[in-house]
Amino acid sequence: MTSLALSGGTRKSRFWPRVRIAAGLLACVIFLFPVFWMVLSSFKAQRDIFTVPPTLFFTPTLQHYFEYMQRADISRRMINTIIVAAGSGIISIVAGGMAGYALARIRLRGAGTIGVLILLSRGVPPIALAVPMFLVARSLGVTDQHITLILAYCTFLIPYVMWLMRGFFLALPKELEESAMIDGCSRMGAFFKIIVPISMPGILSTLIFSMILAWEELLFALVLTNRYASTIPVAIAGIAGDTVNGANWGALTAVGTFTVLPVVVFALLVQKWLIQGLADGATKG
Amino acid sequence: MKQLFGAVSSLSRRALMVSASAAVIATMTGMVAQAEGLGTPDKPVEVRMIANEAFANQWQTLMVPEFNKHYPNVKVTIDGVPYVELLAKSMLDATGPSPTYDIIIADDPWVPQLASVGALLDLRSEEVKGWTSEDFDWDDFNVAPLAASEWDGVQYGVPVRSNMLMMFVNKSLYEKAGVPVPTPKLTWNEFLEQAPKLVQDTNGDGKVDAWAIDTYFVREPLTPTIWQTIMNSNGGSLLDENGKPAFNNEIGVAALETHKKLLEFAPTGAISHGFSESLQAFRQGMVATHINWGSVFKGSAIDAATTTLTPEQVGIQVLPMGSKSAGAHRGIWSGAVSAKSENPEAAWAVLQWLSSKEGEKWHSANLGVFPARKSTLAAEPSEPWLVPVFDALQQAYDAAGEGKMWRIRHPRSDAAQQVLADEHSRFIAGQVSAEEALNVAAEKIEKILK
Amino acid sequence: MATNTMTAGEVRRARSPVRSKLMDAASRWAFMAPAAIILAAMLAYPIIYTVEISFARFDLMTFSAVEFVGWENYAHVFDDYRFWSSMRVTLIYLAFALPIQIVLGFGIAYLINAPWRGRGAVRALFIIPMVVAPVVAGGIWRMILDPLWGIMNWVAGLFGVDGLDWFGDPTLAMASIIIIDTWRWTPFVILIATAALLALPRDIFEAAEIDGANWWSMLWSITLPLLVPIIAATFVVRWLGAVKMFDIALAATYGGPGGATNVINLFIYEEAFRSLRFAESAAMAVIVLVLTMVLTGIFLIGTRKLEDRY
Repeated sequence: MTSLALSGGTRKSRFWPRVRIAAGLLACVIFLFPVFWMVLSSFKAQRDIFTVPPTLFFTPTLQHYFEYMQRADISRRMINTIIVAAGSGIISIVAGGMAGYALARIRLRGAGTIGVLILLSRGVPPIALAVPMFLVARSLGVTDQHITLILAYCTFLIPYVMWLMRGFFLALPKELEESAMIDGCSRMGAFFKIIVPISMPGILSTLIFSMILAWEELLFALVLTNRYASTIPVAIAGIAGDTVNGANWGALTAVGTFTVLPVVVFALLVQKWLIQGLADGATKG
Repeated sequence: MKQLFGAVSSLSRRALMVSASAAVIATMTGMVAQAEGLGTPDKPVEVRMIANEAFANQWQTLMVPEFNKHYPNVKVTIDGVPYVELLAKSMLDATGPSPTYDIIIADDPWVPQLASVGALLDLRSEEVKGWTSEDFDWDDFNVAPLAASEWDGVQYGVPVRSNMLMMFVNKSLYEKAGVPVPTPKLTWNEFLEQAPKLVQDTNGDGKVDAWAIDTYFVREPLTPTIWQTIMNSNGGSLLDENGKPAFNNEIGVAALETHKKLLEFAPTGAISHGFSESLQAFRQGMVATHINWGSVFKGSAIDAATTTLTPEQVGIQVLPMGSKSAGAHRGIWSGAVSAKSENPEAAWAVLQWLSSKEGEKWHSANLGVFPARKSTLAAEPSEPWLVPVFDALQQAYDAAGEGKMWRIRHPRSDAAQQVLADEHSRFIAGQVSAEEALNVAAEKIEKILK
Repeated sequence: MATNTMTAGEVRRARSPVRSKLMDAASRWAFMAPAAIILAAMLAYPIIYTVEISFARFDLMTFSAVEFVGWENYAHVFDDYRFWSSMRVTLIYLAFALPIQIVLGFGIAYLINAPWRGRGAVRALFIIPMVVAPVVAGGIWRMILDPLWGIMNWVAGLFGVDGLDWFGDPTLAMASIIIIDTWRWTPFVILIATAALLALPRDIFEAAEIDGANWWSMLWSITLPLLVPIIAATFVVRWLGAVKMFDIALAATYGGPGGATNVINLFIYEEAFRSLRFAESAAMAVIVLVLTMVLTGIFLIGTRKLEDRY
């Protein structure tokens, strides 16, 4: 495997790698404990959630899941969230990845300045952007549409993607594109045929990160959508801010669990495919 | 009125023509116009409403079908927005050239803010009078809830979901402590005397597991309402007749100190408790009293899925007496029609039905929502558990109406409320004295209200 | 890189020199153009609008600037002790949260990157904290840190520490915000770091291993230098994200007690969305923008220095 070298002296001792894995697993367990608590709470009736001391044994209920699924808007919101996260994630990874490549590898007068400007645009507090974006969208008649939200999310995803991908591209050996371009590839061709495949780990991690940011974004979704393009985080904020009955933690944890699942499945698939791909590449190479 | 005309003149031409023609037809040809403004089976009218996410879904699935039994040709779509963003979102929409929403559901202090930008329709204007049923009884509303949607002498809305700050009582914990169960005559002094006894160990394991009170203490805009209520019931008020801050005096300071003193008898960690956290503590049977919005009664006493308490255990009443009166604090959701709505008649029909005697009765019987009308409160409630609730509610309306127990009425009231929340929290956290907190707040609020 | 362009030129020598030069420039700019165009189109107006209303009296009736007032809004902001206290709180949060997350993230990434079957799954599991909605995360952590029955105080009790009021004490409230934020965002660092570790060229390590280098010297003189660009990039991305944090503070402490966790973006949010004071809020946004730009610039210069060194 690629990172074999990092394990350091595998052949000499089997003890340290095991300690290392155990420590990694312990860290994972600690990080997942709050998630475990979330999943556990989602199966509790509301009156069982805040007991003193907390109950580990209780009559589990699926009530929160059913109740929430029955709400008319949940499937629509889920679909919207997927469309918006995928759309903005993909646009950002393409546009941002290319820009990152330009910064890392192409000599381009002024590109550095533009790159830094793009990065610095992230300094604007999102609260300041949301209202004027709404005003623009309203005058163009595109409020409450997916494309508006997708483009709005691109404004904060592209700078991140660009900068992260620049970091990944910088670590690549320089001879790669040269040989490709001597073979007659255009610059763009070399990028997509040679650079992109070899940078897959970085690209996919960055894509996952971008989609997660879009997946849970609340402020823009709140301001730019009303109904047809409204996403899950808006619904979650609504449940948490229930001013009639108090925050329903059963429902909140259920929705929390429900929204985490697709991303975890997606990430697992990507990881599997990624490791597979790397292994293939290693044997071929 | 002038404001309103200003807003109307800046409308898109289409909206103006529609509403003008609707008005003309309404006054001239009666029945025909009504059919048009309220839609026909072939051409139903569509109205959209922006409301608190907490009840938007319930209204859409239960209230709208009921409304449609009476007005089958008005199609109502309700969009929910989380409470804290609802005002900003309503303002953003209502100030546009052609707003999405025909109906705005506004919380207690919001009507002045919405009205001052010309976003709302005068519901007692000649035009709207033509769309108002003759038996719609304005005088039947309690004064306090109706006043929530009045600004500068104009009635912009009707109460559609009334609520009051109330005191909930866990009678079992009182009995266990051997303290007499509170009545509306209870004073703050008596409460503070009894409070140490209500901090108790109920299961005998040597650890305190029940406390005297829990309510809002956290840094948020609704927390100062507790302080304000104590101050109001001692005869203090937020502003004087000239609209200048009048709370930075002895009464205000004493009330603030009382609010903080409650922390001594509240559960560990109550300093970060607000609406939901204190509510949980009460529903878990951890506190003997609980000050919160009346609407949580059903979920705290009746609904076994959300509470560990039984209806017999839970009492509801006004807040303890100060030197002047009992305490309450108003929290009315009012329904208002957008001044730029293209279907104002249909929009008003929705609100009119919901706040009518008939609609209110249906609303409180089926959704447990508190009514604002004297007649509804005086009538036999549909559910037995509503009897003590209605009694307490009527007392709260009277107390609030008399002592002006509501938040600042001003186009910038939310900015002022945020300042109160900040200074209140600094005092609760022990960072400044009560005097300093109130003086700083008064100074800032005076600037804001200028 | 210079040779790179030469070879590309040679390939296209067939066409006229001017045209090929143009084509070449176009093919280079084609990489930068999509990102630059999307961002310029989406951000130009909002940024101009924000700057404009920060110097104006704001009219809620039209949501626009009505009257130029010079630095008045800025004067209001600078006059407000809440602004300064928010800036201080934000700095404290950043000074703790960022280094902890970067070190922890790369450390854990190194640990879990050992060659064993489960590492793909572990990596995927690590992203979950990032996906949990901030409101839900805040709530779960409130349960965990609850002074009465939260598990954190039970663990602290084992070490003889009792009665920590996590959200009631100003210092501890800040600590909880940092803990929650670290829980949420260390996974991002892990995600990027594991990808960077995976992409390291293995032949270098094989050569070093044959040369008899021990793991420490490999880590210090091969791995770390190769990782410098991505560590720096991760830091900058995390910094830009952390500056804007307000959702966790809103969900867990409401900015309290007494403003102890009222980070600047929460204050900006409250001024705009709760108090409807958009002009003051815009003035603060511009101040934050300028400060962020300056600090980011410093970080970028630092990054460049580090990259040049290795």
